[in-house]
Amino acid sequence: MIRVRSIAAIVTLATFAIVLLLMTPVGAQQFSDRAKQVGMKIKCMCGTCDMAAAICSHPGGEFSGPCGTAKMMLGEVDQHVAKGETDEQILQAFVREYGPQVYTEPPKSGFSLVAWILPSVYLFAGAGVVVFVIARWRKRPTQQASLVAGVPGFSPEMLERARAKVSRETQD
Amino acid sequence: MDVFGSFALVLAFVCAVYAFGGGIAAIITRHPLLIKSARQAGMATCCLIFLATFSLEYLFFSDNFSIAYVVSHSNRDLATFYKIAALWSGQEGSLLFWSFLLSIYVFSVLIAYRNKNGELMPYVGVVMAGVQIFFLTLNNFVASPFKALAAPGANGMMNYVARADGNGLTPLLQYPEMVIHPPNLYSGYTGFTIPFAFALGALLGRYPGEKWIHLTRKWTMIAWMFQSLGILLGAHWAYAVLGWGGYWGWDPVENASFLPWLTGTAFLHSVMMQEKRGMMKVWNVWLVFITFLLCILGTFLTRSGVVSSVHAFAQSSIGTWFVGFLALIILVCFGAYLKNRDYLKSENQLDSIISRESSFLFNNLILLVSCVAILSGTLFPVFSEWITGDRISVGAPFFNKVNIPIGLLLLFLTGVGPLLAWRKTSTDSLKRNFGWPLAIGLAAGVIALMFGFRQIYSWICLILCVFVASTVGLEFYRGAKVIRARSGASFVTSAVELTMRNTRRYGGYIVHMGMVFVFIGLAGAAFNHDIQKDMRQGDSLQIGPYTLVLQGFDTKPEKNYTAQRLLVEVLRDKKPIMMLYPEKRRFSTTEENGTMVAIYSTLKEDLYVVYAGNSPDTQLPVLHAYLNPLVKWIWFGGVVVVFGTLVALLPNRRAVLVLAGAQQLAVAAQPMAHGLAPSATMREGHD
Repeated sequence: MIRVRSIAAIVTLATFAIVLLLMTPVGAQQFSDRAKQVGMKIKCMCGTCDMAAAICSHPGGEFSGPCGTAKMMLGEVDQHVAKGETDEQILQAFVREYGPQVYTEPPKSGFSLVAWILPSVYLFAGAGVVVFVIARWRKRPTQQASLVAGVPGFSPEMLERARAKVSRETQD
Repeated sequence: MDVFGSFALVLAFVCAVYAFGGGIAAIITRHPLLIKSARQAGMATCCLIFLATFSLEYLFFSDNFSIAYVVSHSNRDLATFYKIAALWSGQEGSLLFWSFLLSIYVFSVLIAYRNKNGELMPYVGVVMAGVQIFFLTLNNFVASPFKALAAPGANGMMNYVARADGNGLTPLLQYPEMVIHPPNLYSGYTGFTIPFAFALGALLGRYPGEKWIHLTRKWTMIAWMFQSLGILLGAHWAYAVLGWGGYWGWDPVENASFLPWLTGTAFLHSVMMQEKRGMMKVWNVWLVFITFLLCILGTFLTRSGVVSSVHAFAQSSIGTWFVGFLALIILVCFGAYLKNRDYLKSENQLDSIISRESSFLFNNLILLVSCVAILSGTLFPVFSEWITGDRISVGAPFFNKVNIPIGLLLLFLTGVGPLLAWRKTSTDSLKRNFGWPLAIGLAAGVIALMFGFRQIYSWICLILCVFVASTVGLEFYRGAKVIRARSGASFVTSAVELTMRNTRRYGGYIVHMGMVFVFIGLAGAAFNHDIQKDMRQGDSLQIGPYTLVLQGFDTKPEKNYTAQRLLVEVLRDKKPIMMLYPEKRRFSTTEENGTMVAIYSTLKEDLYVVYAGNSPDTQLPVLHAYLNPLVKWIWFGGVVVVFGTLVALLPNRRAVLVLAGAQQLAVAAQPMAHGLAPSATMREGHD
């Protein structure tokens, strides 16, 4: 008796779930937050919008929601998520399917690594230049500080007067 | 009118060539008449460009569909308002518009300094004419907006034809902001030509050190203000029209507009080093050069299509001309620098690392690193394709990861820089100036943590925003307190008085405050969320505290398009608060679609509702709702930035040194001399 009840309950629940699934319109498909997060890292490959799959909205299109391609891609992400894959594994699956064009940001490997390294290079190289400039300015002797455009003998007072004159002349 | 416009452009080209050649001759011979005639040729060039621009606008207003450009970008039903915008909606018109705005600047400079700076102005005139020649070459010989429409006749000859109606304007541009965003952005781009002309002119002419800086300061601020406004209006346009819920997508063309803004900002700061201490002369000259080069590069990126962009409506094969022009400018700048670099020697030494000078150096470093990182990221797809054969995309996630830490560092310096003294800052001064702002900022961080704030970048941003706002507030408070003690006026009056006495300094602080508001708005983006649903009439959708109920649909035929609207009732805590009407527009002439987003905006958050169209699967209308916190702060911050810049542009008002005691004496002696009594009157002055 208990067994029959259990089977009946499972069948009822399954029927209810199937009816719910059938009643839910395809367009209203909601994706997991994880799918949206990963969807920001992959481009919608429909070939027209050039946006991330998670925010595909086809401005100016007849339908400005995620297009069929973006929805399919986000659905695929959810399938990978269900398998317990990491973000990187999911990304690699998409790269295998679409090539490196699928990335919205350069991968941190191969030549693309250069894109990630460059900002740090700029920062450190720039900081090096600033430190060098500061050190040079601090070492500058006082008499050199009074050189004006390569003309020796210009006193700071003369320079201040000249500056004041320039300031007056250029008031507008 | 097309012949008139075309002829005006040819004449403008001739005059510009004369202004350039005559200007060089005037520099060599120093003949006064030659100097005058070159200047007048420059003015004539501008007037002729004005005429050409007005004649193209006239062709739009008179629906002259015998002109190819008018046919491509307008139609009879297009609202008059948008016929103005049609001028810059395509390549030919926008290049003419470039020339037009540049002419306004050039004309103003030539008029303002016609009897001043006789040594420098011929050089400046030549540089400005050189830039004008480039754009007039494009206007006349490469992308003329006055080309007549022609079709092959029965005899095989080409005949002039006229169409009954035009193709209409791109729907994405049929939005009020598109009438003001491009002019502002272009005014920024073109405006940087003036400091460039003065810098290059001063270098070529070996003109006295700071004079060109003094002369161009206001022009730079004006250009910077327009650039800021243009960028913000563009962001607002993207937010309100594109319907993807964001305002900045790190699109190559967006990036291109941001690059000269970054270097222009660096220049506005480092210029003070040269004015106050005679330092960074080489750096300032190169910053101006780079800013102008980036303006041209921005136009090149918009026009050439080397990088894919949402601004695809403006692309063409004109890029080679810009590459040539860029190469020429770089060559001239290097040549001028190598020839005259000895005149750019720094005059002073750095007394301490903890000083205003150092903070400016680091501020410039951060701004430049951000600029170069964005530039290399924008061009990386092109380089990767050249080198590896694969075009690697560099999208928003990359730019966000790189620029958010840089932005936070810059925000920190915004607070630190103004509180450091020139030359050397003592430990006492550091404690006095930073103690309270730092404590208030950290307290705000602790409170935010207690309220469950866990997003690290937004949390740091909040602390820094409070810190910077406190430093700015403290500066106003201390200054106003002194004035209040002397004059007895109210605190607000004293703060206004303080600002008016040193407009540049306090205008700058207001700009910093505006940037704080912008950063507050940007920090909110970490908490954006959205939901999309196919809706039947009566269905509801919940997002945050709001419930959206679809009450119905209607169709609204307009002159140029048909709008399908969703009637969405917004409830908060089950109480109706308003109706929103997101639209999907169908433009009959172009058979294209447009979106009109409905936004309920508060300082706390934006409820952003998009009618995405009917679902291809269910045919039901799809409602896409976003909850975007703090977005309004960005637009408010933009207004404050513009206001601060306008304040900084005002001349200083200097107080006559009269003590309060003397003022009281004067009041007591009023019958003595009406109108002559000493008082705390102000006189106009300048810094």
